Amino acid sequence: MARFHQLAVTDVRKTIRDAVVVSLKPVNDGDFDFTQGQYLTFRRDFDGTELRRSYSICAGKTEGILQVGIKRVEGGAFSSWANETLKTGDTLEAMEPMGSFFTPLEASAARNYLGFAGGSGITPVLSILKTTLAAEPHSSFTLVYANRGVNSIMFREELEDLKNLYMGRLTIIHVLESDAQDIDLFTGRVDAAKCKALFEHWIDIASIDTAFICGPEPMMLGIAASLREHGLDDTQIKFELFASAQPGRLKRRARAGDDAAAAKTTEASVTLDGTARSFTMDKDQTVLDAALENAIDAPFACKAGVCSTCRCKVLEGEVEMVANHALEDYEVQQGYVLSCQSFPVTDRVVVDYDQ
Amino acid sequence: MTEDMSIESYLSQGGKLTNPTNVPPRYRAELMKMMATFVDSELAGAAGFADVINAGPGIKERIAAAKIVLEKTDNADRVLRLLGEFGADTARYATSHPWTARLPRDAGPGTHRSEHDMRLSVLNYPLSGWTDAVVMNLCMGLAVGAQLAEMQKVSYQPLAEAIRKVAPVEARHVELAEEGLARLMEQGQSDAIAAALAYWRPRVAAIFGDVAGHRFEQLSAWGLRHQNNAALLQGWNDALNAALARLGVAA
Repeated sequence: MARFHQLAVTDVRKTIRDAVVVSLKPVNDGDFDFTQGQYLTFRRDFDGTELRRSYSICAGKTEGILQVGIKRVEGGAFSSWANETLKTGDTLEAMEPMGSFFTPLEASAARNYLGFAGGSGITPVLSILKTTLAAEPHSSFTLVYANRGVNSIMFREELEDLKNLYMGRLTIIHVLESDAQDIDLFTGRVDAAKCKALFEHWIDIASIDTAFICGPEPMMLGIAASLREHGLDDTQIKFELFASAQPGRLKRRARAGDDAAAAKTTEASVTLDGTARSFTMDKDQTVLDAALENAIDAPFACKAGVCSTCRCKVLEGEVEMVANHALEDYEVQQGYVLSCQSFPVTDRVVVDYDQ
Repeated sequence: MTEDMSIESYLSQGGKLTNPTNVPPRYRAELMKMMATFVDSELAGAAGFADVINAGPGIKERIAAAKIVLEKTDNADRVLRLLGEFGADTARYATSHPWTARLPRDAGPGTHRSEHDMRLSVLNYPLSGWTDAVVMNLCMGLAVGAQLAEMQKVSYQPLAEAIRKVAPVEARHVELAEEGLARLMEQGQSDAIAAALAYWRPRVAAIFGDVAGHRFEQLSAWGLRHQNNAALLQGWNDALNAALARLGVAA
């Protein structure tokens, strides 16, 4: 099961006005020997509420350093804190590297890679391109990098340096949404039409072995559609998505009521797929079994408290969870329970599978 | 680059999700059910086949059976690791159910699942000897092939990738079954094969039970399903009939 380890912050560097690159070093344990394109999940307590946030590693595998890029998100508690307060000498907690946004590398391979990055989506793509160019001396990499304007390009100088270091093997195309460029093609958004135009004159799409895409949802859809249209299949297209909806904003949870527990039955209300259903259930029955008995197609798999498929949130009342091998403390604090292990304690219980 | 798009709308347009951090709760639950069904079926299948190793009539057959047990367990592990990324306790999961438990042999075909795990219903029936096991492996292997082809298109990219690694291994198990059946046919076992086929065919067919229309719609809007069960069932019937024809077994 996921475990957190301590990482010492050895450097915090601004790359643009609202993004920092944080260098980290494991304090005592944990295997942080990452693969290019992977991410770290951090946790931190903000006013009594634990927040978790995932950030991609931006360092190359051969650089011998662990670094993540953190772009400030409007209203994002963790990213604001990292950009304003985090400093060298601090300690962060993170899980070991995770993710499968990579393909295996071979020194003898001569492949052509194509990367698309939108804004801070550059972080894993940067790790991939640095690692690939170092590990496969005969391969080439083309990066299409979308940003709002020149000022918001993360790692701009570093990319220039890499272009000089890997002359002829690294091509970078900057596409800017609002700043006009010499070539019209490089202005605007990277969507299916833009890809089509790029594939006509600038990128030999037929020669591409693998494409990596990391950016906002609409951009990923447009690029993927265009790549498929130009003959790439699903095995050749690798995605990484950190949606803007990633839970990162602080929210106070509704307090559970303290009804006195006397009756043997409970008035239960269960919400699933937007529909709330109410029924009376026995207190010696699990919330999951009662829901299933009442013809609600509640999710479950192991019924043994180990898999967490049956997770739901208690909005009102209280339940007793007799076993829990899957939810972590912070989830329980937020009101999540394993419904296969939860028995009502109060006379009224409201649970929601949609949250 | 901060245009807003809901995850639902992204998924309905064929978008892929790539890690547990941003899957919506209901998507998470359905995805985990799907993964648990796969893991439980592989573990139950491997457990059932383990007992058959010693029934193999020769060393080649025993090697084939042992290989199937090993590789199905390995395939379960691949997907169980993904469940672990969602918080499942993988060590406890692997031993949380009696994977060898079966219904009585004469239990009628049906889609009823065991109360205790998510294995496909067919894996609740016991094998009865070598020929029976080989026939079951062919019928079920082809059904697994149809389901894995579907799962390779799933919108959760890490699962699609895991299944792409698993699918050729499972396809090889079907080849082993076909080779085994060819040998049994040479040995004049066609009556025993026909009896086993009559037992297993309806039980395997039952795993393609109906998914209610609205549920399938929801699952396909999330990119978790693409072809409906009727189409998968048809594909499986065709593949099985073709294999039986190659072997000279009456369908």
